[in-house]
Amino acid sequence: MKPYGKIDWAFAAGRIPFRTQGKEPEMTSHDKISVLNLSEEEAVLEIAVFYEDEAPKTYEVKIRPRRLKKIRFNDLIDPQAIRMERNFACYIKANVPVVVQHSRMNTGSADLAEMATMAFPDDA
Amino acid sequence: MGVRKQIWKNWSGSLSFSPGEILHPESEEEISQIVKQANFAKRKVRVVGAGHSSTPLVKTDDILVSLKHFKGVEAIDLEKSQAVVLAGMTVKEAGKDLFRYGLAMHNTGDVDVQSLAGAIATGTHGTGKELQNLSAMLIGVRLVTGTGEIVEFTQAQDKELFRALQVALGTCGIFLKMKLQLQPKYELQRKEWCVPIEKCIENHEEHQNRNRNFDFYWYPRSEMAKIRIMNKEGDPMPEVPYGDLQRDKQGHSHEILPRTRHLRFDEMEYALPIEHGQACFQEIREVVKKKYRKEVGWRTLYRTIKADDAFLSPISGRDSVTISLHHNAGLPFWEYFKGIEPIFRKYDGRPHWGKKHTLKAGELKDLYPNWELFQQFRRELDPKGIFMTPELQELFIPTE
Repeated sequence: MKPYGKIDWAFAAGRIPFRTQGKEPEMTSHDKISVLNLSEEEAVLEIAVFYEDEAPKTYEVKIRPRRLKKIRFNDLIDPQAIRMERNFACYIKANVPVVVQHSRMNTGSADLAEMATMAFPDDA
Repeated sequence: MGVRKQIWKNWSGSLSFSPGEILHPESEEEISQIVKQANFAKRKVRVVGAGHSSTPLVKTDDILVSLKHFKGVEAIDLEKSQAVVLAGMTVKEAGKDLFRYGLAMHNTGDVDVQSLAGAIATGTHGTGKELQNLSAMLIGVRLVTGTGEIVEFTQAQDKELFRALQVALGTCGIFLKMKLQLQPKYELQRKEWCVPIEKCIENHEEHQNRNRNFDFYWYPRSEMAKIRIMNKEGDPMPEVPYGDLQRDKQGHSHEILPRTRHLRFDEMEYALPIEHGQACFQEIREVVKKKYRKEVGWRTLYRTIKADDAFLSPISGRDSVTISLHHNAGLPFWEYFKGIEPIFRKYDGRPHWGKKHTLKAGELKDLYPNWELFQQFRRELDPKGIFMTPELQELFIPTE
C-alpha cells in the first residue's frame, strides 16, 4: 500500500473534560487521537504533551502495520497521568508516515457536542 | 571541609533520609559486633533490604545495615522441598536460584525487586484465594538478636515464637538466613483480559474461586478492568468471552508470577475480610470517580489471600481481599490516599506495613488480637529496643 501521511504532527487545543454522564466507558468524556498507519511497518509514536505551567511529558504508543488505533489521553498514565480539565498541547513524532485526527467527547452536559479536527501536519 | 552525609532513598523516591552511617558487613560475626557496639553506644540499628517499602521502617539517624553481601541458597532438601536462603537475596534472585535446584516459592507479588527478608517481614503477598503470603514459607531462621547474640529458631520447636517472627518488621532481630518451605518447581500459564468493570464485578467470584491466582486492576478513567489469571500448566484456563485477550504466556513460576515494572509508584494498601471486599471496592470506585480521577489515572488493584496466623500479618486470622491504590511516584499522593483511607477503616481494614498509611500504635493495636503477645516476644529478643527507632515506636508503642 502507498505510504500516506506525515511523520510530524501537532495540535494545541487539548483539554480532557472532567464531568461525564451516561454509561462508562462508552460515554466517558475524553480527548483522543485516532491514528492511521498505512505503512507496512509498526508505527512508534512519541507523544509529547505540553502544558502552560509544567515541563512536557512524553508517552510512547505503538500501532501495528496497516491498522487504526484510537488513543484516549485519559488513559495515558506512563510516565504521568494527564490531569483532567487542564489545557495541554501535543506534538507527535512518528517513525513512519501516519494520519492523525484529534477529537473530543464531552458528555458532561446535554448541551455539549462531539467535535473532531485534523491535527496539524508538518510538511518539512 | 565537612563530611557529606549519605542520603538514602527508597524505591519510589517518596522517602529519603541521612543515616548516621550505612554499613555493609560481610560476615555474621560482623553483624553481631555492630549490634553489640550499638548497644554500648546506645545507638539504634535498622536493616535495609531493597528499599521497596515506602513507610519509614528503615529510617534511622544511627546505623543502617545492608545485607547485600549475604547472597545464596543452601541446605537444599528436595525430598521435603525446603531450602535455606540468605537474607540479602531479592525475591527475584531467590526465585532464580531456587529454580536451579528444582524448587519454587508458592507465590510472589507483582514486583520481585524487594528483598525476600523484607517481603517476609512486612507480610508482603501475591494473589490467590488458597495461597498465603510470603511469610508463611518461613519455617526456620538464624538471626542476630538485639543483644548481638546469633541464635537459631525453628517453627517445629516453637510455633508461638514463629507467629511473632513471621511478620516482625525487623524488630525481633536481624535475619541472617531463612529456612523456607517451598514447592517442587512448576510451570504457570498467565492470561490477561481487558473487560468492562461491570463484567469483571459480575464474574469476579467465579474467577476467584476457580483459579489458582486471580486479581484485577480497575482503571478509573475508562471504567475498564484487567483480569489476570494464572493456573498451573495443564490445569484448565477459563473462557472470558466478554474480554479482549491481552496476554497469554507460559513459563516457570518465577518468571510468570512477577510483571516487569519500569514505572515507579506510591501505594496504599489495606487488607479486609474477604466478605467486605466488593462493598469496599465499590465505595472506593464511586469516590474516586467523583473526587479524584481528575488527577488520578492510575489503577486500583484487587487481590485475594488466604488467612495465616502470624501475629502481625494483615491477613492474620481471616481470608482477605487487599485493595491497593497507586499513584505515579513524584506526584502528590496524600490527599488521594487520605481521602480513601477512612473507607478502608470502615470495612475493618488493616494497612500493609510497607505501604503508605497514617495509623499509629493506638489504632493498630486494636486491629490485631495478638498484639500484646507479639510485643512480649519482641521485648524478649530485643530487651533494650536497639531496633526500635522513633518511627517504629510510633507504630508499636501507644502514646497515653
